[in-house]
Amino acid sequence: MKPILEIKELSKNFGGVTALSKVSFSIYEGEILGLIGPNGAGKTTLFNCVAGVDKPTSGRITFHARNGGEVSVGGKKPEHVTALGIARTFQNIRLFDALSVLDNVKIGRHCRTKSNFFGAVLRTGFQRREEREIEESSREVLAFTGLTDRYEEVASALPYGDQRRLEIARALATEPRLLMLDEPAAGMNPQESKDLMNLILRIRNKGVTVLLIEHDMKVVMGICERVVVINHGSWLAEAGPHEVAKDPKVIEAYLGSGAAVAS
Amino acid sequence: MVETGRRKFDKSASLKLAALAVALVLPILPFTSEYLIHVCILIFLYMVLALGLNVVPGFNGLLDLGYVGFYGIGAYTAGLLTVNFGLSYWLIMPLAAINGAIWGVLLGAPTLRLTGDYFAIVTFGFSELVVLVITNEIWLTRGPLGLPGIEPVSIDFSWFGGPVWYLEGDTPGVYYLILAMVLLTLFVMTRVQNSRLGRAWFAIRDDELAAVSCGVNLLRYKVIAFAISAAFGALGGSFYARWVSVLSPTDFAFWESFLVLCMIVLGGLGNIWGVLIGATALVSLGEILRVVLPLVGLPMNVRFLFYGLIMVLTMRLRPAGLLPIPAVAERMRIVGARRKKPVAKVFNK
Repeated sequence: MKPILEIKELSKNFGGVTALSKVSFSIYEGEILGLIGPNGAGKTTLFNCVAGVDKPTSGRITFHARNGGEVSVGGKKPEHVTALGIARTFQNIRLFDALSVLDNVKIGRHCRTKSNFFGAVLRTGFQRREEREIEESSREVLAFTGLTDRYEEVASALPYGDQRRLEIARALATEPRLLMLDEPAAGMNPQESKDLMNLILRIRNKGVTVLLIEHDMKVVMGICERVVVINHGSWLAEAGPHEVAKDPKVIEAYLGSGAAVAS
Repeated sequence: MVETGRRKFDKSASLKLAALAVALVLPILPFTSEYLIHVCILIFLYMVLALGLNVVPGFNGLLDLGYVGFYGIGAYTAGLLTVNFGLSYWLIMPLAAINGAIWGVLLGAPTLRLTGDYFAIVTFGFSELVVLVITNEIWLTRGPLGLPGIEPVSIDFSWFGGPVWYLEGDTPGVYYLILAMVLLTLFVMTRVQNSRLGRAWFAIRDDELAAVSCGVNLLRYKVIAFAISAAFGALGGSFYARWVSVLSPTDFAFWESFLVLCMIVLGGLGNIWGVLIGATALVSLGEILRVVLPLVGLPMNVRFLFYGLIMVLTMRLRPAGLLPIPAVAERMRIVGARRKKPVAKVFNK
């Protein structure tokens, strides 16, 4: 299998606090990789380093671009990372609250489109074709994520589970090759998380690699092919989900909740 | 459901058309006085200014306290080009707008990295700087003496032996000119609002971190917004210069920025139709106070007290403005019930 993202010796300090220290692992094309660890282990920091929101203190993050070339991602600006084909969602939902569902997804198309002020004012042929394309592909993505009948609704008026979906839809609209989901199942009821697992599998089947941070072990067990565990900012284990759950080191890291993981 | 939505749309569209029709025939109605035309010109001028300013706080959520600086730059650009080179207004109009945009970029590019209040302070400083430069560069602007004798706008057909029309003072000609400028501004704003550019701005307004994750280059789009806003401010300024024919640095004092800001907050931040209403309301109020205040023996400057009062009342009673964008009103309602989400992360550049 070909790696799509290689993380080598990645470290990140915030002042004196070490959030990540020398974490290394790879994500392979077409897999669903789970990233787990107790609260404060550095999972979201790792996401932020890949997404360009945080600048790594040291280490390399290499993304294998579509044309086969290697791009170093660490320290790139978030909008460049998105343009490369890495999309993400957020732990605490970050939708454009005041905009409609459709507009939220349309903004996801931003990095794949070009027209600007003069195009907008003059409605050039190019701009109109592009708007049509944006509209069509946005509706397609919404249909794919199952939000068909809610185009015109204001994003903040959606029920919680649908807001999560919409965030995924928006990320998919950027045409990612790697999709990073930060606790997508948090706060979902069992039916919603089942739907979510389905959605993630369908996303993978479309050829998008998925990196998933998740605390809900049912979801991790259900869809991840491999799991990477980090604890206190360092790599702890890497294996299939069931082996990881039996690993004494992992159980120890989780302490109390480890019992639930092992069962 | 669809049916009512459709009817609602028709209603608001016919309202807009009716307002336009009234505006078109007003100067030729028998009871229309020169004073009424003067007030309408003032309202239209502030509509252009308010629509321009709206791009920054309304579309991008950035507080801009220095808008009058661009208004002043536009006015003096027009005034100096007219007095020194005798250029036609039709040439000056785009030149003033371009000059405004250039200064918008020059100010915006280094300062739009700042967030929130810090940015507002810089813009405030900028507008004061513009006034100081106009006051002190006497060789260029004649400073506190003012810049008199700016020719009115003319429509010149003399090159094929036709007449030359001067649009001066409070006449229907000037009225239609500024009305056309309002329509032009509205046209640009409605189109931009429904485009990729407009959506990028709204994304920045709602959540900067999510916006960059969608590939929006924050600085670039904020600078574009600032430049467009500045261009329309300068456009309004160029009209002002040719309308009043005398410019002085005191015309561009800080409170003008505040007045225009009041208009868009009162009307509904981000809603171009609300902005029009806000401009109409506050200019009219100013004219009413001009009559009423001397009657009750108060000095003219008391009117600022009323603008302040209106702001307080708006914030208290209708925080999203008279004519809010539905989505913003929704958000205001939600924010009351729910904890506001964390402030967008400041990037460690």
